[in-house]
Amino acid sequence: MNGTTTVSFVGVGGQGVLLAANILAQTAMAQGYDVKASEVKGMAQRGGSVLSTVRFGKLVWSPLARHADVVIATELLEGRRALPLLAPQGALICARTIISPGSVLRGETQYPQDIEAAAAARSVTLLLVDAEAVARQAGTVRAANVALLGAASAKLPFNEAAWQQGLAAAIPAKILDVNQRAFALGREAHLNEEVTL
Amino acid sequence: MCSVDSLFLSGNEAIARGALRAGVTFACGYPGTPSTEILEVLSATADRDGRVQAEWCINEKVALETAIGASLAGARSLVTMKHVGLNVAADPFMTLSLTGVNAALVIVSADDPGMHSSQNEQDNRNFAKFAKVPMLEPADSQEAYEFVAEACALAEEFDVPVLLRSTTRVSHGRSRVVARAPVAFAPRSYERSIDKFVMMPQFARQRNRLVLERLAKLRERAERTPLNVLEAGTADLGIISSGAAYTYAREAFPKAWFLKLGMSHPLPVEKVAKLYRSVSRVAVVEELDPFIEDQVRALGLPVVGKEAIPADGELDQEIVFAALEPYLTRRPPRRRRPVMPPAARISAPVPAEPQLPVRPPVLCAGCPHRAVFAMLRKHKVSPLGDIGCYTLGALSPLDSLDSCLCMGASIGMMAGMNKVLGRRAVAAVLGDSTFFHSGVTPLIDARYNETDGIVLVLDNRTTAMTGHQGHPGTGVHLDRSAGPALDIERLCQGIGVRCETVDALDTEAFESALKRELGAQGLGVIVAFAPCALMAPGEQQLTVDEERCNLCGLCLDIGCPALAPGETAVEVSAACHGCGVCAAVCKRGALSVAGEPAGTP
Repeated sequence: MNGTTTVSFVGVGGQGVLLAANILAQTAMAQGYDVKASEVKGMAQRGGSVLSTVRFGKLVWSPLARHADVVIATELLEGRRALPLLAPQGALICARTIISPGSVLRGETQYPQDIEAAAAARSVTLLLVDAEAVARQAGTVRAANVALLGAASAKLPFNEAAWQQGLAAAIPAKILDVNQRAFALGREAHLNEEVTL
Repeated sequence: MCSVDSLFLSGNEAIARGALRAGVTFACGYPGTPSTEILEVLSATADRDGRVQAEWCINEKVALETAIGASLAGARSLVTMKHVGLNVAADPFMTLSLTGVNAALVIVSADDPGMHSSQNEQDNRNFAKFAKVPMLEPADSQEAYEFVAEACALAEEFDVPVLLRSTTRVSHGRSRVVARAPVAFAPRSYERSIDKFVMMPQFARQRNRLVLERLAKLRERAERTPLNVLEAGTADLGIISSGAAYTYAREAFPKAWFLKLGMSHPLPVEKVAKLYRSVSRVAVVEELDPFIEDQVRALGLPVVGKEAIPADGELDQEIVFAALEPYLTRRPPRRRRPVMPPAARISAPVPAEPQLPVRPPVLCAGCPHRAVFAMLRKHKVSPLGDIGCYTLGALSPLDSLDSCLCMGASIGMMAGMNKVLGRRAVAAVLGDSTFFHSGVTPLIDARYNETDGIVLVLDNRTTAMTGHQGHPGTGVHLDRSAGPALDIERLCQGIGVRCETVDALDTEAFESALKRELGAQGLGVIVAFAPCALMAPGEQQLTVDEERCNLCGLCLDIGCPALAPGETAVEVSAACHGCGVCAAVCKRGALSVAGEPAGTP
């Protein structure tokens, strides 16, 4: 709305959703944008759904938006759940990671298999990313959130230098290296995919 | 002293007798002028006929929580306090509006205009608006007597706590009371209902919509209730008033029209409009805040209010007369038609995709709370809960917590419930940080009032839910420096309550401690001790004997996110802490920690 781009991060508590959102916020600032962000994290450590929203543009008023231009999902069910959050023609960049909620583990409900069809039905561009595989290649599966952000990065209007500033600003120095590798591998793997924003 | 059918009572005596007439069987409170005599009279009368349990509590918060427990147990309940006492009880009060009640719960707030014996002059009518609950305001002893039954009926019809607001002149005024026939009331039974009584976000959001719908229905009721009376006069003056102020205004202007509000929240705006159709001048006569006046002004109606009637102190008929008399000779305002407030819109629930599995937060893998809940479930102990990670124990598949109201409410609610049911019907579960926050006072109260029950303090050595902050039990300061750590067991000993500390993850030790408590009488505390799994990395490995596992599902039934059914046996994910709670519930010895099968018969 009003020249502001909204990126929402969704996932499961403990997956680094808030860190990924902070990297994006820092990157957008490094690129010279005004940025506002908000998160709901009270239950984040207890394996519940997590949502964090980052908005950037020339001048951003609200930290919150009902609809997002881009959703970055660190888990498949959460990506599927976030489809209604997307504005028409929005893009969902979703890790192939599956974390089954308790009701699925106990056989009370089915894990959804229809993300492609559901995305197509809503005219949402879908990019599925093997984020954990990429992160493992970089050195730790824990960097899957950053690998996913790397995959999404090619579709966002920030230059390489801004991304590097964003990573350095948000990630503790001790683990910056492995995250930079994960980001680069994720970015390379999906640089040429067709996701129009 | 007086004849049987005509008594001369103070407002407080009348409230006490009104409570007996209304079938109130549990009452508690904390003394505070001008509310104190209500419970004293109730207790003295109760001693004679033995129907009512009445007690002083340690403070107003614990008193309200105790009364809530009694209401849940099915007894009509009354809690009394002075105006500032409701500040202390505001935490349970505000969320009680969301949960509603079971049997009626009436909260008496005795305000003190003029501060005869108070540190401030707050107008507690604002609390009714704040909490979106109905408020009754008796003007004399007869009304004080009758309004308790009215409040009980409202409470049960609308599933809402009712505020009965008195002031010094009502509580300590005396007038004639004609006794009425007792009200029939059949005690209600208690049924577990977590979406009503466990106010975690997903349930509280649903209840909050019901609160707004209820408020709209209460507005309709305020228009129809006989407690709100439009009294015709002969003068061209209408006065809206309630409580003691009504008696002053009535005497000052005997010929005026009156809108007398016995139920002063929500305001009956149609009745206000009707008054404006009958007269050309309207005044609001009320003590303290312009509570009614502001709402009348919001209708766009001209009114004489606080520009004439003092906004502080008590009124009397001379003040009221002197204040309003000059307006009678002025030209009346012309505007008489109100602009009715629109009904408030209630936001629609966020549309969820119904076919998608929800992902509620769960107790982490290795969480020691899970061990406690699994054991409580095994022994069919249903505890009232509190606020913290362990509130999640209310959800499926553990299903082992019945309530979550506000910090520290579990113990007071347990007291009320067990008092009414006359046995150790329920236990209380709260965390270590919550215990220090607001669990110590109700424990002292439980000791003082000789409550039966078991209190389980789930001591995971931190304030876990909010991200591992320190508290007096750990001594850890904000800057992580070490300070003095209080020992819960010694604290309990000081209070004179039996207390035992056990390792929450030592199944045998915890079970035998629980059994000892279950076999005991009186009040006991078990501190189930084990550090939060997020602070203490697991050191043991869980292994599955695929030959023995028959996928019976017992271990899955403890809701651990690290366990999932595989093709032929349960599978353990990397999230496993090796806490062994699953091994303890397995009846086939298929699960073992560090090679040692645990919990096999």
